[in-house]
Amino acid sequence: MKTIVANEWKNLGRDKGLLVASVFFAAVLIAVSIISVKEVKQSKENQQKAQQHMREKWEAIDSMNAHSAAHYGTYLYKPVTAIGNFDEGVYNITGKVLRIEGHVQNEIVYSEASQSLLMSKFGKLKSSLILQYIIPLLLIFLAFNSMSNEKESGRVKLLYLQGATTAQLIISKSIAIWIYGILLLSITFFVQLLSLPPDYDQTQRLLLLFVVFALYYYIIVIGTIYLSAKLKNNTAVLTMSLAGWMLWTIFLPKILGNTSEKAFRLPSRQAFQTAMQEDRAKGIDGHNPSDKREKELKEKVLKEYNVTDVKDLPINYDGIRMQADEEYGNQVWDKHFGNNYTLLKKQKTFYQLSGIINPFISLQNLSMGLCGTDMYHHVHFLQQAELYRRNFIKMLNDRHAFGGSKTGEWEWTENNEFFKSIKDFEYRNPALGSLLESYRIDLLCLIGWAALITTIVLFKEKKKEYV
Amino acid sequence: MIILNNVSKSFKGIPAVKNLSLQITEGEIYGLLGSNGAGKSTTLNMLLGFQQPDQGKAFIDGLDTSAHVKEVRSLIGYIPESVSLYPYLTGMENLAYFCKISGKKYADQELAGFLTECGLDTNAHHKRTETYSKGMRQKVGIAIAYAKNAKVYILDEPASGLDPVASNELSTLLGKLALRGATIVMASHDLFRVRETCTRIGIMKKGTLVKEMAAASVSATELENIYLAYMQD
Repeated sequence: MKTIVANEWKNLGRDKGLLVASVFFAAVLIAVSIISVKEVKQSKENQQKAQQHMREKWEAIDSMNAHSAAHYGTYLYKPVTAIGNFDEGVYNITGKVLRIEGHVQNEIVYSEASQSLLMSKFGKLKSSLILQYIIPLLLIFLAFNSMSNEKESGRVKLLYLQGATTAQLIISKSIAIWIYGILLLSITFFVQLLSLPPDYDQTQRLLLLFVVFALYYYIIVIGTIYLSAKLKNNTAVLTMSLAGWMLWTIFLPKILGNTSEKAFRLPSRQAFQTAMQEDRAKGIDGHNPSDKREKELKEKVLKEYNVTDVKDLPINYDGIRMQADEEYGNQVWDKHFGNNYTLLKKQKTFYQLSGIINPFISLQNLSMGLCGTDMYHHVHFLQQAELYRRNFIKMLNDRHAFGGSKTGEWEWTENNEFFKSIKDFEYRNPALGSLLESYRIDLLCLIGWAALITTIVLFKEKKKEYV
Repeated sequence: MIILNNVSKSFKGIPAVKNLSLQITEGEIYGLLGSNGAGKSTTLNMLLGFQQPDQGKAFIDGLDTSAHVKEVRSLIGYIPESVSLYPYLTGMENLAYFCKISGKKYADQELAGFLTECGLDTNAHHKRTETYSKGMRQKVGIAIAYAKNAKVYILDEPASGLDPVASNELSTLLGKLALRGATIVMASHDLFRVRETCTRIGIMKKGTLVKEMAAASVSATELENIYLAYMQD
């Protein structure tokens, strides 16, 4: 097999057309990677500046009512990771900044990120675009006539007579062209690796990303060469391979994405909002003092402090009422979001399982996942942001309630020291272990495809000869 | 060396070879003549192990070609009508590659020796085969078989498309191989070349061996007359 691989390489190396194409692709990959690395650096700087600016503005609040500060809100930033720009995933739609304020939970499900399954990836010129779409196409062009040329020229008879087998030829030729794909892949990953800060998590993700792409390229190459052995001539092989490429990369992702959304349909944004409003209306409405729940709360607080009027309370009842409203709102949101999140997870699992018939979907999922730009990371970020928002608002409402003011004293203000004491949001990407847990279907699909085709070639083609 | 015992082969019910029995000994060059569809290529393919006889058996060096495909193939050198080599590789590299596939590793000097012995000009050894003529490629093809130490050479229309010089060189080369004890079978349309090269000639028609003769026993004209007579029947 080593001999066949070396011979294929010799032939590829002496093909001037391929040399020119290789130089072109290498240059494009290097350029895109360098631009990508620079963009990450620039984004990081911009984000740090914006974050610093917002913090300065927050810390500069001289005196403000705590509840007003809750509406003043703040901005939370998704961290810019070193490999995040490799594959922008859903982030080019969702953005990387989130504004939070009192009473306003994020309608994650209805953000455009929920369209991630169907998102067209023919967007910006990113490394992922070239490595997911263009390089596989190049590999198909290199592989399609690999076996059919041997058959058409009659050379295959000579090879069989010298002792070569079909399985040996397919596997060896696949390895040779796969190595070529790996070399192109390495260019991007090498540039990315050089730009990585000493970050174990990012390095691990990058290396795993390399393995994932390498697996996909193997599937593409061995699949094409297998077709090249099975089909009658070059035209048939090229037509079939390109049809397969189009089906895998263009049509099936759309079809399967649509199917998963129809199979596990989310309620419309309007229905979601109406249901939320209904649930909320049944409970405490912070701006409606006649509400039954507020009545109960008021009675409870008055009883607790052994007074008959909120004006006699030693604390500010408005703060308690607003926090209770906030918490009820959170409960309502958790309930409805929970339902939708379950549906989203089902959609995602269905889509992931479609990797059984389309390994490109597995590649795309893993690429976004490992780069931290997928729906999983997006939701993780929003959940952490929501948690921070709740603590942030609670802190402000508690201050309003127990900071020394009395009920109705809306002009009461907190001083600068209090605002400075509120810590900034710090977000960390989920650990690689938990990420892999949610992407094991995709990994298994890719490994399964590679193993299945190899097994078919090794065992089914063991004794077959194509002369 | 080569024995065909009552061999028959059909494709989709249409007989390609019918009850063919033949024996070719070491040092013989056997020419199979016949028009298109006479069964020559099917006969060769059965010897090469690419097709199995429906009936009867074929043996090479005592080995059943259907049961011992691998072993039989290790004894065979095959030269098709047009030897297709890797165009970006030189003659030497092509030879080295095919030798390595069969598990034989030779030094450059040895490889050059094989090529020279098979008539390829030394100047051409290191040129890419994309620049080779058909005759030159055929010489590399024979060198591949020779380097393999083949005992049996099977040639399918080897003289087709060769210029008279190349064709003559081919005859000389095959003669040399036969003298060294090789068993050679060649299928051809070229009566003159077969008459010049072979020691024995068989004429096939519609899958049947209709006539056998020693090449020395007939002149070129007589051979043509015999051939035409059978074809017109």
